[in-house]
Amino acid sequence: MNKHFLKTLLLTATLIFTSLGVSIAEPKKGGTLIAAVGNSPRHLNPAVQSGIVTGFPGAQLFATPIRYDNNWEPQPYLAESWEISDGGKTVRLNLVKDAVFHDGVPIKSSDVKFSLETIKKNHPFKTMFAPVVSVETPDEHTAILKLSSPHPALMLAMSSQLMAIIPEHVYGDGQDPKTHPQNSENVVGSGPFKLVEFKSGEHIILERFDDFFIDGRPYLDKMVLKIIKDPATRTIGLENGEIDFYAFENVARNIVRLKKNDNLTVTPDGYAAIGPIDWLAFNTKTGKTADVNVRRAIAYAIDRNFILKAIMLGVADEARTGIHPGSPFYEPNVEPYNLDIDKANKILDDAGYKKGSDGMRFGLTVDFGWPGLKPNAEYTKAALKKIGIDVTVRASADFPTWAKTVSNHNFDLTWDTVFNWGDPVIGVHRTYQTSNIKKGVIWSNTQQYSNPKVDAIMEKAGVENDMDKRKALYSELQKMLANDLPVYWTNTLPYHTIYSKKVGNPPMGIWATSSPMDMTYIKD
Amino acid sequence: MLENEEIEEPTIKPVKEIFQTFFKSYSAVTGLVILIGIAVMGFIGPLFYPTDPFDMVWMPFSPPGADGFLLGTDYLGRDILSQIINGARVSIAIGFSAALVSCFIGVGIGSFAGFYGGWVEETLMRITEFFQVLPTLLFAMVIVALFGSSVLSITLAIGAVSWASVARITRSEFLRIKELDFVLASRSSGSNNMALIFRVILPNAAAPIIVQSALLVGAAITFEAGLAFLGLSDPNVISWGQVIGSNRVYILDATYTVTFPGIAIFITVLAISLVGDGLNDALNPKLRSR
Repeated sequence: MNKHFLKTLLLTATLIFTSLGVSIAEPKKGGTLIAAVGNSPRHLNPAVQSGIVTGFPGAQLFATPIRYDNNWEPQPYLAESWEISDGGKTVRLNLVKDAVFHDGVPIKSSDVKFSLETIKKNHPFKTMFAPVVSVETPDEHTAILKLSSPHPALMLAMSSQLMAIIPEHVYGDGQDPKTHPQNSENVVGSGPFKLVEFKSGEHIILERFDDFFIDGRPYLDKMVLKIIKDPATRTIGLENGEIDFYAFENVARNIVRLKKNDNLTVTPDGYAAIGPIDWLAFNTKTGKTADVNVRRAIAYAIDRNFILKAIMLGVADEARTGIHPGSPFYEPNVEPYNLDIDKANKILDDAGYKKGSDGMRFGLTVDFGWPGLKPNAEYTKAALKKIGIDVTVRASADFPTWAKTVSNHNFDLTWDTVFNWGDPVIGVHRTYQTSNIKKGVIWSNTQQYSNPKVDAIMEKAGVENDMDKRKALYSELQKMLANDLPVYWTNTLPYHTIYSKKVGNPPMGIWATSSPMDMTYIKD
Repeated sequence: MLENEEIEEPTIKPVKEIFQTFFKSYSAVTGLVILIGIAVMGFIGPLFYPTDPFDMVWMPFSPPGADGFLLGTDYLGRDILSQIINGARVSIAIGFSAALVSCFIGVGIGSFAGFYGGWVEETLMRITEFFQVLPTLLFAMVIVALFGSSVLSITLAIGAVSWASVARITRSEFLRIKELDFVLASRSSGSNNMALIFRVILPNAAAPIIVQSALLVGAAITFEAGLAFLGLSDPNVISWGQVIGSNRVYILDATYTVTFPGIAIFITVLAISLVGDGLNDALNPKLRSR
């Protein structure tokens, strides 16, 4: 019985019960949710800060024009309806009439215009709103987005934490929005919860916003987000009931352990749009890895199954391309580079890399972007020894050091985890575009990969409004990339949500906790 | 150099007596035996147990004793016994060379401060105090972060943050000894300052410095483990601290992966402390009558 069938069954059951007037698990009002966050956010304003750590409180504090359901379908949120016309070049948002900010000031279309302009100027994801030329505000509750070209990614970019509607009368006071003092305290948001207290490194306390524009929501009175960086401490907290909820757990060993606990639900659902992928990136411009044969040989020598089974302990999924397997654009029919040591050796022999007297052909370095990928780097050293590549593992003292090394292109190989962020235009194109080779910018095209054909396909796919045509274009893109192999994709990062049995309706959509938790409640 | 035969140099005990006192101490000998044992294991052990500590030889997380791996395997299926044997070499090497570095800096600064006094002493001791009040682990982290985590930078970092105690002890010894008769005699017979510092006073101040340095070796090994625990270790070189550091996320389920290297560090540091205590007893002239 597959998951889809179960879902359908559940949906049918729900429909039957609701139509009969039988209440199944009626959400209960009140209560406090104690959640954990894995790191301390720099601040709480997702309009000028990316990342899932800001996203969790950010999506509670700030509402976005639309939200997404579990099936990648856009749903009304701050915009009660929208119309797309002019071949996708005009998007009209009709805002909810009685929405107010946390300070009681009504949310107007001018705030939408201000928010979009602020995000466009300050948010690191430049492609999100790049085609938006202007925002017209014919009346207080209508915002019309004018685009220079069709931009199918726009819908996802208007959801989640990506288009937080921030009040112009607070954040438009002339101060730099990136360092605005009210990003961290006295936050004036538009979302279901308002800020009580943010203590960096300790906790974020949120409280129900009584005048939230959806009646009766949120169900929770209070959310306490404890900032706990150590995975073992979080695990023990969940086990002994001190923490009710934790999203974005990715330590495989802890996931396996918590799955055995009867009081907890552990699920990988809800991360399709976040789309985190672990991969081994190559420097395609300088050094031995500039040769595609070397890249292919390395891919054949690294056993993806070992990573999935031994390092990820079976809790992660295979990822054969740069698009997350949960995305509708994923193309699994590409060269998978399954383990084949003989083939790898042959490729290197044929390419003229002869083994020396010590059995080694040449040396390479491998970096890793964060501590969780250290096992992958160490495994790479052991695996490539078998094909005569002497790998030196380079440990960076901290994230900025690694980011500086890699973004300045001083690397051979590096393990990294990169997010899709919903639409490929936002999170996928950036890795392969020639125009995005930007020295000093991390998660740009640090591979320095350049293929005019790939650029052309991405350009086409980015403006294609027809879903099927778009899928075909992305399928072709993934095949071409698998052939050129600027990156060897291995697996999804095994993000899991863990929650106690008393938590009802945890965020299981495509955006995990980077979406409003107005429907989450605490059972008795 | 002329030596005045009538003035005895009072603080150096005869070598024979030092050895006698040291080897009479049961605990000091135990410590020395353990230390030699660990050094032998680290340097000769790999010849008898040739498994490469970086090779994945078996399934990950195979518990100790099972499948022929005495201490089990880690998260990549690497042999922990081999990691402990090979890690001994690096841990001890880092421990001793870091202690040597701090000894070098500490003795240099302490001796000049103690000998010259005045503004030299003021300046040097303010610098020493500055290093003494710095949180050592944090400062070492900064150094490693700046220069990258290689064995060399880690050794230098540990050495650079732990020399203050050596400097203070050296200075106080110099302050005491430089007023003694034999120093004055040596000075009046025409010795220059450098000769006085390094040939006359330093040998007589050696005892407490040696003891302090011995203890620094133990401290340096734990220091390296601390840095490695925080992820600041050279991933291409196996050290005990590195084994603990990279396995710590599995501590809840595969406890043995951190327990064994932990025990190894504990035993080594204990042995070094015992040797240090033994040296203290043997070298301290005030304990001569015991």
